[in-house]
Amino acid sequence: MGDRPLAEDDRVALAKQGDTRAYGTLVEEHQSIAFRTAYLITGSAADAEDAVQEAFVKAYRALGRFRQGAPFRPWLLSIVANEARNRRRSAGRRERLALRVAEDPLSGGAVPSPEAALLDAELREELLAAVNDLREDDRLAIACRYFLGLSEEETAATLGWRRGTVKSRTSRTLDRLRERMEVER
Amino acid sequence: MTELERSLRLLGDAVAFPEAPDVSEAVQRRLEGLRPERRRPRRRTLVLSFAVVALAIGAAMAVPPARTAILDFFGLRGATVQRVESLPTVPTEPAPGSELLLGEPLPVEDERLLVPAALGRPDAAYAAEEDYGLRLTLVYGPGDGVPRSEYTGVGILVTEFDGAIDTRYLDKMVDADTSVEQLTIGGNRALWLEGGPHFVVFRTESGDIGEDVGRLAGNTLLLEHEGTLLRIEGQIDRARAIEIAESLERD
Repeated sequence: MGDRPLAEDDRVALAKQGDTRAYGTLVEEHQSIAFRTAYLITGSAADAEDAVQEAFVKAYRALGRFRQGAPFRPWLLSIVANEARNRRRSAGRRERLALRVAEDPLSGGAVPSPEAALLDAELREELLAAVNDLREDDRLAIACRYFLGLSEEETAATLGWRRGTVKSRTSRTLDRLRERMEVER
Repeated sequence: MTELERSLRLLGDAVAFPEAPDVSEAVQRRLEGLRPERRRPRRRTLVLSFAVVALAIGAAMAVPPARTAILDFFGLRGATVQRVESLPTVPTEPAPGSELLLGEPLPVEDERLLVPAALGRPDAAYAAEEDYGLRLTLVYGPGDGVPRSEYTGVGILVTEFDGAIDTRYLDKMVDADTSVEQLTIGGNRALWLEGGPHFVVFRTESGDIGEDVGRLAGNTLLLEHEGTLLRIEGQIDRARAIEIAESLERD
């Protein structure tokens, strides 16, 4: 590979030919969002790491089936989500992951950005509690759209839903969150 | 973007995700000697019906008799239906769409897919390499008079099992609420299951139930077509299911 990073399409094409270095750059680029996606589903960092590693290996082997020119991230995330669900299922884990706010930079979690600090701390806790109380699918839709910043289309591919389902579920859930926040205010 | 959506985005920045571990080296190590797979040839294993029936009875007998008393029994190559007094406890919740084990997405124009022209292009298609062979799944969302199935979370689910279903096979247990009818569609054998929920499992020869695939299913047509075993599931009636089955074509 040259000095300038190749476009994603080109790296995918190389990886399809068996270029593991080109594939490695895709791993580096997407592993962070892949991990967060898996973590939302498994609720365990260790399971999420396993799922991500397995998904990257499976995705590599399945590259022959990947349509050249299609966006790589949603395709990858759908494999990640599938691996994560398999792990959660085989772990027999039914309890829900309760997301929490990173207050302390030493806790090992993400440090809130200055913008995030603008969100009133009390409101933040209330909103997160409301999100944590959602049904699993509703919570996943909200988390994919707003916490991971995935588009509607990417969320649909990742979770294996139709785009219309993502749209309607997100909108219904936002209404519900809005109602709850109004009641609590 | 509404104020709530803005707040959710800001909240996302503050959520304590564990730090993502760097898996690139581990992945690189595992890729050694691997290459992206080319399309594989279709594997076809013809299993005589009686052989499967014998195997199925063996497997069924391995289930503790207290749990399932087998009252009746139907066989279809690669698939069996057992009538039992009561359904076993379902190990998974009635599955919303996201809980289906669908495998990896594949383009809906994939040449391996048998697509029912009556339904048109699926909304999504998946492939999963299982121990018994390749499993392809077509997903159709609700609409056009097809409601969302409470079992699959989608409108119609078409699952295609290819190749060697001789050591593991699709197995359906039905209770007294479900009617089972033998049909012939385009010269092929088929079974129509209607009424109560069915329990879908995969079993090994030893009678072990695949723990990760047990789930409830709604109205279902099981049929053989060109050496493939198909399962068409959804809240549809018998006539519609037959119409779908008759319109199957290789894409």
